[in-house]
Amino acid sequence: MSFHRISLTINGELERADVSANMTLLDLLRETLVYTGTKNGCSAGECGACTVMMDGEPVNSCLVLAVECDGAEILTVEGLAKDSKLDPIQEAIMEAGGVQCGFCTPGILIASRALLDRNPNPSTSEIRAALVGNLCRCTGYLRIIEAVQEAARL
Amino acid sequence: MVLSEKEARPVGESKPRLDAREKVTGAAVFGDDIQFGNALLHARILRSPHPHARIISINTEKAAAMPGVKAVVTGEDFPGYIGLYLLDRHIFARERARYVGDPIAGVAATSEVTAEEALDLIEVEYEVLEPVVDAEYGASPESPLLHPRLQEYQVASFILPQANSNISNYFKIRKGDTEHAWDKCAAIVERKYRIPHIQHVPIEPHVAVAKVDESGEITLWGSSQSPFAQRNLIAQALGISQSDMRVIAPYVGGGFGSKAGVSMESLAVAIAMKVKGRPVKLLLTREEEFFTAFVRQGLIAYFKMGCDENGKLLAMQNKFYWDAGAYTEYGVNITRASGYSSTGPYEVPNVTTDSYCVYTNHPVGGPMRGFGMPEMHAGLEQCIDELAAEIGMDQVEFRRRNCLRDGSILVTGSKMHPTGLLQCLEKTAEAIGWGHKDEPSAANKRRGKGLALMWKAPAMPPNAGSSAWVELAEDGRVTVGVGGQDLGQGVFTVAAQMAAAALGVPYEWVHVATPLDTRYSPYEWQTVASRLTWSLGNAVVNAAKDARKQILDMVAESWDEEIDHLDILNGMVVSYKSEREMPLKDIVIYGLPKPDDQGWIGGPVIGRGKFMPDYVTGLDPETGQGERAVVHYTTGAQAVELEVDLDTGQIAILRGASAFDVGKAINPEMVLAQIEGGFVQGMSSALFEKLDLKDGYVQNPSFVDYRIATSSDVPDGIQAMIVEVPQDDGPWGARGVGEHSMVPTAPAIANAIYDAVGIRLDGPPFTAEKVYLKMLEAGVVK
Amino acid sequence: MNAYPKLPEFDYIKPDSYQEASQFLASHAGEARPFIGGTDLFVQMRDRTCKPKYLVDIKGLEGMDLITFDQARGLTIGAGVNMNRVIADADIRDRYRLLADAAESVASYQLRSRASIVGNICNASPAGDTIGACLLLDGVLNVFGESGERQEPLKTFFLGPGKTRLQPGDIVTAIHFPLPPNNMKGSYIKLGRNQLSDLAIVGVTALGYPESSVESGYWFKLALASVAPIPLVVDRVGEIMGHDPISEASLQQAAGAAMDTCTPIDDVRGSARYRKIMVRNLSYKALKDVWGQLSED
Repeated sequence: MSFHRISLTINGELERADVSANMTLLDLLRETLVYTGTKNGCSAGECGACTVMMDGEPVNSCLVLAVECDGAEILTVEGLAKDSKLDPIQEAIMEAGGVQCGFCTPGILIASRALLDRNPNPSTSEIRAALVGNLCRCTGYLRIIEAVQEAARL
Repeated sequence: MVLSEKEARPVGESKPRLDAREKVTGAAVFGDDIQFGNALLHARILRSPHPHARIISINTEKAAAMPGVKAVVTGEDFPGYIGLYLLDRHIFARERARYVGDPIAGVAATSEVTAEEALDLIEVEYEVLEPVVDAEYGASPESPLLHPRLQEYQVASFILPQANSNISNYFKIRKGDTEHAWDKCAAIVERKYRIPHIQHVPIEPHVAVAKVDESGEITLWGSSQSPFAQRNLIAQALGISQSDMRVIAPYVGGGFGSKAGVSMESLAVAIAMKVKGRPVKLLLTREEEFFTAFVRQGLIAYFKMGCDENGKLLAMQNKFYWDAGAYTEYGVNITRASGYSSTGPYEVPNVTTDSYCVYTNHPVGGPMRGFGMPEMHAGLEQCIDELAAEIGMDQVEFRRRNCLRDGSILVTGSKMHPTGLLQCLEKTAEAIGWGHKDEPSAANKRRGKGLALMWKAPAMPPNAGSSAWVELAEDGRVTVGVGGQDLGQGVFTVAAQMAAAALGVPYEWVHVATPLDTRYSPYEWQTVASRLTWSLGNAVVNAAKDARKQILDMVAESWDEEIDHLDILNGMVVSYKSEREMPLKDIVIYGLPKPDDQGWIGGPVIGRGKFMPDYVTGLDPETGQGERAVVHYTTGAQAVELEVDLDTGQIAILRGASAFDVGKAINPEMVLAQIEGGFVQGMSSALFEKLDLKDGYVQNPSFVDYRIATSSDVPDGIQAMIVEVPQDDGPWGARGVGEHSMVPTAPAIANAIYDAVGIRLDGPPFTAEKVYLKMLEAGVVK
Repeated sequence: MNAYPKLPEFDYIKPDSYQEASQFLASHAGEARPFIGGTDLFVQMRDRTCKPKYLVDIKGLEGMDLITFDQARGLTIGAGVNMNRVIADADIRDRYRLLADAAESVASYQLRSRASIVGNICNASPAGDTIGACLLLDGVLNVFGESGERQEPLKTFFLGPGKTRLQPGDIVTAIHFPLPPNNMKGSYIKLGRNQLSDLAIVGVTALGYPESSVESGYWFKLALASVAPIPLVVDRVGEIMGHDPISEASLQQAAGAAMDTCTPIDDVRGSARYRKIMVRNLSYKALKDVWGQLSED
């Protein structure tokens, strides 16, 4: 198996790591660099709990190899707040009651942030489509959709 | 204790969640997030590839010799039985494998990959046996016995296994005279329903880390609804003392019952016993999550019910064959709970119910949200609709005439307590616009409305208890200790609200001691059964009142005043008489000086409280009749409006309406959130979910082919409504609602499908294909 | 089905040129696989249904990430272009809307950040959502192989589920679409279990355009997903819809032909019987939708 030295930026910080070829970005985040905010729900790109932003676009980090991230800019849930000031989407989801167990929440926040970045005023159907890759079993989604609409206003 | 007279705030207010900020910043620590450093070993489990087989031999030599492998264990190493209500299971399978996925051996190694490779080196010889894959067949005398020693197993007194059979629990109701009641019925409906197995699908898979130190003390970290029950059951199975084991339970990423009792946690502990001093982690893959921890039992249900010409229910006859899987140590109680609730929330004078818990070579059935109620109501509430139609009565009117009220005689002969079921029915019917049909949105759609009622009692032993402590600090702020877990439903938040109200401090001053840790947290039976707001709530209130009494006793003596003139408001002790006041922080640690200044009174304040119901009686094993079978029932109603696509059979849920009688909403927004979330989980189970079992093999153990509701599937709105008819022994009158909102959704949807296109299916999921082919058969489409 | 926690071991190769990549793949035939997004490949590897010793990352190669549209020649989408870019591209939305719509139905936004049209094609699943559009738009693959560059028209590219004409050493660099006929209209209807996302239980791609050389004045094409071993083009549809002035009868006849041509199987997602009927119902719908769009012009 091949090993590779990579450099990447995570939440604005430069990181360096030695990774095996078969390590995923999710493994790198959670196990090597200990950014445990991003979660592992299925390792198959279906549940969205592992969603992070890679070079500005949301991806399932369980299906990205760490070695592919050499030179990449990664944003995880831990990077949403700036100096303890929460991102509007974080405030909004708390306010709307869209957090219960919290396990899907990091992925949902990143996917929502990405949506608002590319579409600052999304319709309800656009929000539903943007979040269809994030499974939630607790909330029933309605308060999450409401939160995204509220964050768009903020 | 009801404190309805006292100023309730912040009880009744929608306070923000205690744990929200941690969760939105990614700081909240879940089981797989805990860091153990390089000492951590990884476990993988070798599982039976056969649904039913004798284990002839296991050779672990080669696996044990692999570099990096620290332990290999099998059932040989752990002879003890484990179980909650019935000890029918070993930690690792012994002698026989009884389902695909049954743990045969476990490996701990320095990496997951090494452990996985070691599994390939374990040689197991099986003698494959014919599997039992149907519950009715399993219950019949023709079936081979899956547990030949059933009658020797230790069992709780209220569970009744049938010797020399696969029936591990048989619950009966014999009320009135059903046999002769049919003649008096103007209409009778007889139906059979098949409810498939489904799974909880928590987004966080099961995870457990166990470490056994040199002294033999075990520590178990895990995603757990039940730290105390896990300690109890695992300790008993290993033959050790409960106090020699410690369970630490961080945040849970969804439970729904899957993380109650013991499923995979015992495997981690067992393996850890062979690698003293090093923590061993077992994390299930999503595929394993689907069928190797707990699943929801399947059900074959026969209903027969009849009413008179005025729509009054006269008789019900029910037969339930619960496909409970390979081990029924927990699932046996579903048989009982469904039995003592088998009329649904209606008054029926004559009832015959036979509820069977049947062993099959299927995955292990365990507690899932609703504990038998969703499965039972799925068919029962459709029969109610059909019976109403038989006598030409509106479905809401029929329910209005029959639904339970205060004082109704229940299926067990007990009396119903005050309930807002009728209010729930009326509010729900109104909210969905019952009786009014809107035009479909297109020519190829048909619209329909459907409604269903439900009830459920907490299913638990009669002496399930809660305890709590309340401690104050030098800054006057409060820590509450509980043993009940927040799964997302908000228990920590409402515990803080109740403590704040009962003590007299602002909500913001209260903090709950987390993570749960059996070393420091007070005992709680389990976080299941929708029992915590009521039971843990009472314990918290008692603890807060105990602390309050200690404080006021101290102040009364120090100020030489009557205790009745004193109060604690907003963190301040005040005297209504002298108008003296003093902040708590000046009192709660260092005590107060004696009135004459010669010495001190009091000291550090710690309040303690407990709650355990003392009034649950048994039920007659022949008739299922008894004085008081359960602590209480939560009731409710749900309605949906949907459209059926005539081209494809697809169902689109347009909107939902739902009302539950929670007695008192401690945090109204969180109650509404439970009602919405349960509706969606119920809707998901109605439209999509099924563990596709074929000859004992799950065909779809992944998200690709086990579909759940996504953001695109939920209706535009779910109108959730709260009804409050107080529970006499609930804190401020509260009772639980965590499970209930998932119960009536499937039959409400089924009834709405019937309203739209006139067809019924033999059970969920109501997939587009099933709906379409049935419409074709019925001539609704060509 | 036995999915493991982690990916198996392999060597990651990142070649600097097509030449280097092709040579490596050819000399390690059977052990090496090229990949772009990996969204299908990594799942198969975790299941161990596929265990390549070498993964060759080709998405950084020259031109892979380009979308070029030329008024004279048509559209070229580099193999490394992700589906979200295809969906958002102005030229594609203007002249090849059907392709954008089909791509938008795939999985989720996150998956589409990594999945590519060419990747979808090379995976050769009969359920591929974008393959029908690519076929009907006369897509042609640019392939760089051991013996140089060549074109592979899509209509002969698929040999069976997961099987294509690609040989060891081949790298698909782009997909090219000629200019579509003026006023072409299209429709992609996907039947999944959820409202959005999911795989296609049945997928129907239809397009039509004014064509004076046929009696009806319009030429229609139809392709089906998930109802045959390969993505299926139903040639009969063109003949039926071209023959007489378009009417309810011709729509129904064409839909019936689609139903008769397809050969679905029973699987965990649906029965053959249901799929056949859905082919009929959804082909009718898709053709009618296209006809409706054409009539508006």
